[in-house]
Amino acid sequence: MLPAAGEPAAGDSWGLLACLCTVLWHLPAVPALNRTGDPGPGPSIQKTYDLTRYLEHQLRSLAGTYLNYLGPPFNEPDFNPPRLGAETLPRATVNLDVWRSLNDKLRLTQNYEAYSHLLCYLRGLNRQAATAELRRSLAHFCTSLQGLLGSIAGVMAALGYPLPQPLPGTEPTWAPGPAHSDFLQKMDDFWLLKELQTWLWRSAKDFNRLKKKMQPPAAAVTLPLEAHGF
Amino acid sequence: MALFSVSQTAFLLAFLSLRTYQSEGLSEPLPWAPESLKVSVNTTCQCLHLQWTVHNLAHHQEFRMVFQIEISRIKTSNVIWVENYTTTVKWNQVLHWSWESKLPLECAKHFIRMRSAVDAAKTPGPRVWSSWSSWEEADVQNSLGQDPLFIFPKDKLVEEGSNVTICYVSKSHQNNISCYLEGVRMQGEQLDPNVSVFNLNHVAFIRETGTNIYCKPGQGDGIKGTVLFVSKVLQEPKDFSCETQDFMTLNCTWDPGSDTGLLKQLSQSYTLFESFSGKKTLCKPKSWCLWQVAPESQDMYNFTLTAENYLRKRSVHLLFNLTHRVHPMAPFNILFKNVSATSATMTWKVHSIGKYYTLLCQVELYGEGKVTQHNVSVKVDGAHLFSGLEPDTEYLAQVRCANGDYFWKWSEWTHQNFTTAEAAPSEAPDVWRNVKTVQGRCVVTLFWKPLSKPQAHGKILFYNIVIEYLDRTSVSEVLSIPAPASGTELPLNQCSSQIRITASNSVGTSPASVLVVSREPGNEEVEEERVKGTEDGFPLSWNPQPRHVTGYLVEWCEQPRDPPCDLQWKNLGPNVTSTVVSSDAFRPGVRYNFRIYGISTERVPYLLARKTGYSQELAPSDNPQVVMTNLTSHSFTLSWKNYSTESQTSFIQGYHVYLKSKAGRCHSGSEKAVLSDDVVCCKYKIDNPEQKTFVVENLQPESFYEFLVTPYTSVGEGPHDAFAKVTTPDEYSPTLIRILLPTVFCILLIMITCYLKSQWMKEKCYPDIPDPYKSSVLSLIKSKENPHLTIMNIKDCVPDSIEVLNKQEGTRKSLTETESTKPTYLYLLPTEKRYSSPGPCICFENFTYNQAASDSASCGHVPVPPKAPPSQLGLLTSPENLLKALEKNYMNSLGEIPAGETSLNYVSQLASPMSGDMSNLPTNPPEPALCSEYKMQMAIPLGLASPPSSGSSSLSSITLLDEGEHYH
Repeated sequence: MLPAAGEPAAGDSWGLLACLCTVLWHLPAVPALNRTGDPGPGPSIQKTYDLTRYLEHQLRSLAGTYLNYLGPPFNEPDFNPPRLGAETLPRATVNLDVWRSLNDKLRLTQNYEAYSHLLCYLRGLNRQAATAELRRSLAHFCTSLQGLLGSIAGVMAALGYPLPQPLPGTEPTWAPGPAHSDFLQKMDDFWLLKELQTWLWRSAKDFNRLKKKMQPPAAAVTLPLEAHGF
Repeated sequence: MALFSVSQTAFLLAFLSLRTYQSEGLSEPLPWAPESLKVSVNTTCQCLHLQWTVHNLAHHQEFRMVFQIEISRIKTSNVIWVENYTTTVKWNQVLHWSWESKLPLECAKHFIRMRSAVDAAKTPGPRVWSSWSSWEEADVQNSLGQDPLFIFPKDKLVEEGSNVTICYVSKSHQNNISCYLEGVRMQGEQLDPNVSVFNLNHVAFIRETGTNIYCKPGQGDGIKGTVLFVSKVLQEPKDFSCETQDFMTLNCTWDPGSDTGLLKQLSQSYTLFESFSGKKTLCKPKSWCLWQVAPESQDMYNFTLTAENYLRKRSVHLLFNLTHRVHPMAPFNILFKNVSATSATMTWKVHSIGKYYTLLCQVELYGEGKVTQHNVSVKVDGAHLFSGLEPDTEYLAQVRCANGDYFWKWSEWTHQNFTTAEAAPSEAPDVWRNVKTVQGRCVVTLFWKPLSKPQAHGKILFYNIVIEYLDRTSVSEVLSIPAPASGTELPLNQCSSQIRITASNSVGTSPASVLVVSREPGNEEVEEERVKGTEDGFPLSWNPQPRHVTGYLVEWCEQPRDPPCDLQWKNLGPNVTSTVVSSDAFRPGVRYNFRIYGISTERVPYLLARKTGYSQELAPSDNPQVVMTNLTSHSFTLSWKNYSTESQTSFIQGYHVYLKSKAGRCHSGSEKAVLSDDVVCCKYKIDNPEQKTFVVENLQPESFYEFLVTPYTSVGEGPHDAFAKVTTPDEYSPTLIRILLPTVFCILLIMITCYLKSQWMKEKCYPDIPDPYKSSVLSLIKSKENPHLTIMNIKDCVPDSIEVLNKQEGTRKSLTETESTKPTYLYLLPTEKRYSSPGPCICFENFTYNQAASDSASCGHVPVPPKAPPSQLGLLTSPENLLKALEKNYMNSLGEIPAGETSLNYVSQLASPMSGDMSNLPTNPPEPALCSEYKMQMAIPLGLASPPSSGSSSLSSITLLDEGEHYH
């Protein structure tokens, strides 16, 4: 008696099992799945993102203390002076379309350059702080910011981007000239903290965007199997 | 001398020529007028700097001249400063003068001019001035730049309490510029249309980063500001002092006062300068500095300490001899040698300050709450012998040293503890006893107090007890009780014995305490006396004894209410006849008993006196538990035998018996008393505290009384709370009871007898009534006429109407002629109501009526069972079925009547209210109330139940009733 249509014969069942075993045997050799050795830039982007959020939180406390140290009007919540004399500070605000159109390399390079400059200015701020407690807080924040810079450099290295080299003579310096009044200096300090806060906020957005971009699509793995035994 | 005369001559010639010029007219200028006046501005110090020359001076010519300088602000006519500057002028000399402006120079233009005169203070007459120079203008505003708004001064540093003037210069001609000091708006005055000035008086220090002053124009978001750095005023260093510990370095210290550091200015610096050596050192710490002592044995030092900041400099001086400023280091390496029970030797070392110096050391010893102090001179090592110490005692020894040649300061203390060695106890233990006889044997309980620390001289390890029997019949016994026991119980072989108790520590044994126990119990007949306690204790006194005593002893229990009463005793000397016994354990309201013994020379104690008392008497808190007996209509007896007068909170003096009654009358022996709640009652007083019964008399029969027995003492009565209640009985009730009880007993006896003999009583008093069913008449009727006849029970039927028949004599009509018969009903009862409920319908078999005369239809009414199912009813609707049913029912009715079918056994005797429509039967079953009316009281003969020929005349009760006539 012939087997009914649609019912696999006993021999077909064995063939299916053999096929399944073959597939499992070859799974480690599939290049798309063999990613245990190199996790890619994803984790380091996540860590950098986490670090920016932590620094945002840390800066909120530090800025409050420092602006009280400067006194009014700098510690007033609605104080928004014109950005005079702070032109050397890297500007974090950018047009939204421009920001969207940035490629990964440019985005990371801008972050790296900005924090390099800001860290330098912040160290100058630390040097002139009068109270020991404030100096301690600033030093701690500088260490954290140095860590963020290293983290960004790590992400760039993982993605194969070179670190931007500072042009000779463009090293940011913290040397207020004699014509620079103390009031303007306080204004610069205010803008440094404000710009730093904006940069950390922007970096969180930048790394969140990068993180989403670097996540591999879950259903995109295809197995180039050969149909042996079918 | 020649040179002096020449110069004097030249001066006089010049002066005379000047006078000549002046006298000739003012039009001619003075030859030594200031020329080439130049004004420069230093905005950092807000200073105007002037320089000029004086021409026409001869070579080597010198004059002392006065230059009058005028400074105007904004315009030349507004002179704000005039100053005469006097100086000696030489040939070809450029003169300088500076002026510091309170107002920032950027805020306004300034104009300066000057004139000169020869300083001729020694010469009489008015001063001759040269003509004024032309106005020189100092204007910084032109060089400010293009900014629309400026604030001045820029970042100025001032001392706290200074007055500062701030201004702003607006180049945009805005008038609504507002300026703020630390967020608070300032009010200023307008100097000119573009310049406003703000005067800040007595500025205060706010923070290191300075005081922020800023201005904002009304429009736009521009902001301009300046920081005013206000420094605290630099203070002179206080308590400047230098000393050495080792002749190598000098340690100079001072109190720096407040820190004047700012963001713009470092904190003040301190410099130490020694004038003899000419050396100077910058002290980095703010409050101390180390100075290396010169090796060439410099003795005298003259120090100048200078504090300096940007604004001020302050100095203090100190001159001293180095040997007078020696502060030795603390001694070290303290050791104790040869530590015995009463002495110890302490040694220590000191840091050397040179072989030529002697140290004075102070030794202190703390122990047993005392301090002893000794001074010892020391070169290198110190030693001191402590004597007269207490054995087994911890001491603290400490030592400090100072320069013995010139005292400056003591060193720090160095201290060490040590403990002296133990010694044998110095005192015999304080022992007392309690003797009792158990089963003929003397048992003595010994108590002793632990030796105090000064007596024990070490840790007491055990107590030795030696019992020596006085009659020498028994061998002495030796016991050792380990510490810290404070007593023991000893059964004695014989009562007469001497007991010796000693205490031992690791070194030796104490002297012995001796007690003699005799069989004689002592003078137990001594009468007890009362003693009144005070806050200080119980004052006890006794009579001096005629015989010789070695001392007295007072014994008492501190916890008299508890079984182990905590026996206490107090030893007193032989000459003492009174004492005060005090203890923290004494409590108010507790009775303490004291026994006073005299101790004979043979160490035998004998009882002298007994005292009892309270440290403080308290009012009784409880009343006696009273038992009432012998209640009669006129009296009752109260008894409180269990009440102990000894264990109360005060001495019981007697009792009060309170009696409350409605009558309110008090008989003799009682008095009226008003209680705290205004209740009036009678009070009986019992003066003897041992009288614990009382008879309350003179009461009224059948009356309600309340009574209370309460003790009274010197401090008050017991509580008036719980009155007991009693009602006196009726006077006659005992007599009544004597009559009633036998009567009731007799009645009961009769009733029981009757019950037991009830059958006999029944037979005799009310025999049984004859039963009709058992009558012989019934069997006679049945056999003769109708075998179906039976006797009806009358009680089952209730006659409600009497039917009167109009019967014609002599005619007997057939069944078809019964229509002419007109029955008449006389209602006896309201039948409708009475028979509205289902019940048996009974037809009387009335033998007085003719059977033929009965209406054929009168009993044709067949009632339907109230709850008959429709099927059964359906059967009944057909004539055949109905006939069968009737036959059956009728047959049943002649026999035994089943209980459940009673309604079917009888022909209905009432007119049915229903219509004759048979079709309504299944759906509307007839109500059982249909039997409420009699129609014919006869049973239907079997032959009459045959169906009629026409269908319309069916045997329904309704049809029958409609056809027949009946009367209501």
